[in-house]
Amino acid sequence: MILTVAEMSFPTGWIPPYNTLVVAAGVASVGFAAGVVGCFAVLRRRALAGDAAAHATLLGVGLAFLLGGGRRDLPLLLGGALSTAIAALLALVLIGRWTRTRDDAATAIVLGVSFGAGITLLSGISARGIPGSAGLEQFLLGHTAGLTAADAMILGALSLLTVALVALFLKESTLVAFDPLFAAASGWPVTLIDYALVVLVAVMVVVGLPAAGAVLVTALVVIPPVTARQWTDSVGVMLPLAGLFGLVAALSGVAVSSAVPRMPTGPLVVIAASILLTISLLIAPRRGGLARWLRSRRTVAAWAEGRLLEVALRLEAQGPFTREQLLAKAPGVAVDSAFKRLVRSAAIEPVVTRAGTDAWRLAVWGRELAAERSRRLAAWTEVLEAAREDARGHLTIDVPSPEAILGAARMKAIRESAAAARSVSGPA
Amino acid sequence: MMEFDSTHLWMHFWAIATAATVSAGCALVGSFLVVRRLSLLGDAISHAVLPGIVLAVLAGGRPGGAGVFLGAVVAALVTVWLTNLLGTHAGLAEDAGAGVAFTTLFAIGVVLVTALASRVDIDPGCVLYGILELVPFDTVPIVGLEVPRALLAAATVLVVLVVAAALCWKELVFTAFDPAAARAAGLPVSLVSAGLLVATSLATVASFEAVGAILVVAMLAVPAAAAELLVRRFHRMLLVAVALGVAGSIVGYLAAWHFNTNAAGMIAVVLGIEYLLAAILAPGDGIVARMASRESLRWRVACEDRLASLWRAEEGDAAALAPRTLVDRLAQARLVFGGRIVPGRAGGLTDIGREEARVIVRSHRLWEAWLGRHVALPLDHLHPPAEWIEHHLGAEVRGRIAADLEGDVGDPHGRDIPPEEFPRRAANEPTR
Repeated sequence: MILTVAEMSFPTGWIPPYNTLVVAAGVASVGFAAGVVGCFAVLRRRALAGDAAAHATLLGVGLAFLLGGGRRDLPLLLGGALSTAIAALLALVLIGRWTRTRDDAATAIVLGVSFGAGITLLSGISARGIPGSAGLEQFLLGHTAGLTAADAMILGALSLLTVALVALFLKESTLVAFDPLFAAASGWPVTLIDYALVVLVAVMVVVGLPAAGAVLVTALVVIPPVTARQWTDSVGVMLPLAGLFGLVAALSGVAVSSAVPRMPTGPLVVIAASILLTISLLIAPRRGGLARWLRSRRTVAAWAEGRLLEVALRLEAQGPFTREQLLAKAPGVAVDSAFKRLVRSAAIEPVVTRAGTDAWRLAVWGRELAAERSRRLAAWTEVLEAAREDARGHLTIDVPSPEAILGAARMKAIRESAAAARSVSGPA
Repeated sequence: MMEFDSTHLWMHFWAIATAATVSAGCALVGSFLVVRRLSLLGDAISHAVLPGIVLAVLAGGRPGGAGVFLGAVVAALVTVWLTNLLGTHAGLAEDAGAGVAFTTLFAIGVVLVTALASRVDIDPGCVLYGILELVPFDTVPIVGLEVPRALLAAATVLVVLVVAAALCWKELVFTAFDPAAARAAGLPVSLVSAGLLVATSLATVASFEAVGAILVVAMLAVPAAAAELLVRRFHRMLLVAVALGVAGSIVGYLAAWHFNTNAAGMIAVVLGIEYLLAAILAPGDGIVARMASRESLRWRVACEDRLASLWRAEEGDAAALAPRTLVDRLAQARLVFGGRIVPGRAGGLTDIGREEARVIVRSHRLWEAWLGRHVALPLDHLHPPAEWIEHHLGAEVRGRIAADLEGDVGDPHGRDIPPEEFPRRAANEPTR
C-alpha cells in the first residue's frame, strides 16, 4: 500500500529508478511512524520536549562524525543523534528535579544551548575542511536526495518497529495519555510508560532527520496528529489517520524537493502537512470551521423562527398583525429571513383584507408549531424549577447546616477534636 | 567561516559590541518572559519572524531597516494570533498550537529564502545560526566612524527597550507577578502583554542578523533563567541577566575565534555553561547549597541521636548503642572534640553534653506523651514520629506541650520526662 502511494506521487508513464522508489518508500514509512508516535506526544503535551530533543540531534551528528573518523555512515550518525536527543530529554528531567527553573524555560535552555553546541561543532568541522563533512549541513533542514536504498531501508525498518511498539502498548499508552492519575492508582508504572513514550518520540525525531532536518522535524511529529484529531474522537482511528497524513506530507515534500533544485526537504514537508491541517480545520465534519459555521447558522435560524411564532401567537389574540408589528416585538438577528421562511412554509398566511395593507395570521400548521414550542418551554421551565429545588440541598446557593449532611454524632466528634486542638496550641 | 587576522582588532571589537548589545536586549526581554512562563513565546517568535523579514526585504526593505522590523513584528503577531486561533477553534493545547504555527511560518520563510535566493539578500545559513563574523563588513558612517549596521539596529532597539521598561516598570512587574490583581487594579493587562510581545519581536529581529533565529532562543531564556537561580529580587535578576548575557557574548566570541568556529553557536554554549554553574553553585538554591544543607541536617541529627542514646544509657534502661555507621563515628568524634562526651572507650556524657541530651530526650518524650494523650495511636507507634520531631522542637513549643500535659511528668512508656531547667540555647534549637 505504501508503494502504491509512492508511485502515485510521480507522473504516470514515467517509471522511477529503483533507488528513488526505495527512498520514497522509506520516507513514507518515516512519515507514517512519526504521525502515529506523535499522537501520544500531542495528547500528553510533550510536543515541545520533542522539539528540544530534535534540536539536540545536530550535536550528536557532529560527534558521531568525528568519532567515526569522518565517515558519512548514516546509522552511525543517527546513533549519535539519538544519544544526544535522549541526553537532552534527560537534561530536561534533571533541570526540573534539581533546580527551580520552570518547564518552559528549561525547554528553551536545552533547545537553544544544544543547538548552539551542534552549530559550533559543525562549523568547527567544516572550517577545518575535514573530508566528507560537506553533507552534514543537510541534517539542519533535511535532504533526502543523498539517501541510498540501504539508508532508506534502515529508516523504514526503524519506523515500522516504532509503530509496532506503539501498537503493542496501545492500551497502556492510551490509559496514561488520558487519565494518568487513574493509571497510577491502578498500579501501572506511569512514569516508566511516560518516559518510554518520550524516548519513542526522540527515536522518531532522529529517524525523521534526513527527511525533515533538526529544525523542523518536530512538525512531522506534531502536525499530523493535530490534523487527525480534527476528524475523529477515537484514539484507535486517530493513530492510523495521523500516520496517513504524515505519510502524505512526507511524500509530497520529497517529491517537490526532488523537482526543485537546492530546495531542502524539511520545509516542504512541513508546508505539505500544514496544508492538510488547514483543509482539515476548514472541512472536517463536526469540528471543522465549515461545519461549525453551518451549525451556528442553523441554531440562529431555528431560534429566530421560534421567537416569531411565539410573538405571532400573542399578537393574534387581537386579530391579524402587520409584518412591522411582528418584527418590532421580536427583534434580533436573522428575523427577516426567518419571516420569509415561515411565510414560504405556510406557517404564517396573509389575511385577505382591503387592498394596500399587509395583514398576517398564523395558519393552522403555524399555530400547532407555536403551541408545541410554548408547551416545550413550559415543560423545561418546570423541569428547571424542580431541579433547582432539588439542587438546593447540595449546592452552595443555599448552604444547609452541616448537621444535615454529616449527622449530629459526626459533628460532635469534629467539634470536640477542634476544641482539643485549640487547647493544645493555646490562645494565639 | 571567516579567518581574521589578529591585527583587525576593530573588526573583533565591532562584532563583540554587536553580540553584547544584542544579548543585553534579549536578556532584558527574556527576564520578563521567564518570570511570566513565556519562554517558549520567544522560541515561537524567533522562528516565525523569518517570513516577515523575507517578505519585507522582498518588498524593498533593507536588512536592519525599519520596514524589516515592521514585517517581523507583524509576523510575530500573526504567530500568536494563529496559536490562539488554533487553541480556541481547534481546541489545541498551547504547546501543540505553537508547535504548528511557528514550524509552518519558519518553513514558509526557508522556502521563500531558498526560492528567491537571487532576489533576497539573505543567506539561508544566516537564518539558522547567524554570521556574527560578517557583521563588521556592512557599515554605515556615523560622525566619521564606520559603525556596523547591525550594531546600530541592536543599539537602537536596546535603547527603546530600556526606556520602555523604565517607563512601564510598575505595570510590567505587577502584571508579571500577579496578573489577576493587576487586572483588578485597573491596569491594561492585555495591552502590557501585547507590548511584551512587540518587545520580544524587536529584540528577536535585532538579533536575527547576528545570531540567527534559533540561537536567539538561548539568548532570551538562558541568562534570565540563570539569573533567576542566583538572586531573589526581580530588579537584581534583570541586572544579573544582562550582565550574564554580555559576559557570555564576549567570552563566547573569543572562544569561537580561538577554536575557529561559529560565534553565535559558541555564545549559546557559553551561556549554557553559565546556567550550569548557576544551577550548581547558586547560594541557597544551588545543587551544592541544597546538598550542603541536607548534609548538615543529617550531621546534626546524628550528633543529637548519639547524645540522646548516651542519656538513655545513663538512665539505665538500655545500653548505649555503639556508633556503627561512618556518620555515627564522625558524630561521636565531633562530640568528643566539642567536649560533650568524655574521651575514651567508656565515653560518658560531660556536663554540657548531658544538658543538651536532656533537652532532646525531653522533646522526644513530650511529643510521645502529647501524641498518646490526643491521638489514638497504639503505644508502639509513638516512637517513630517523636524520633523525627525531637530535632525540630523549640523551647516555646516544648513549653506549650508541657502546659497542655498539665504537669504530667511521665511519658506513655512510664519513663520520666526530663525537666526544662536552665533555659538556654541548646544544641537542638532550630537554627532558623
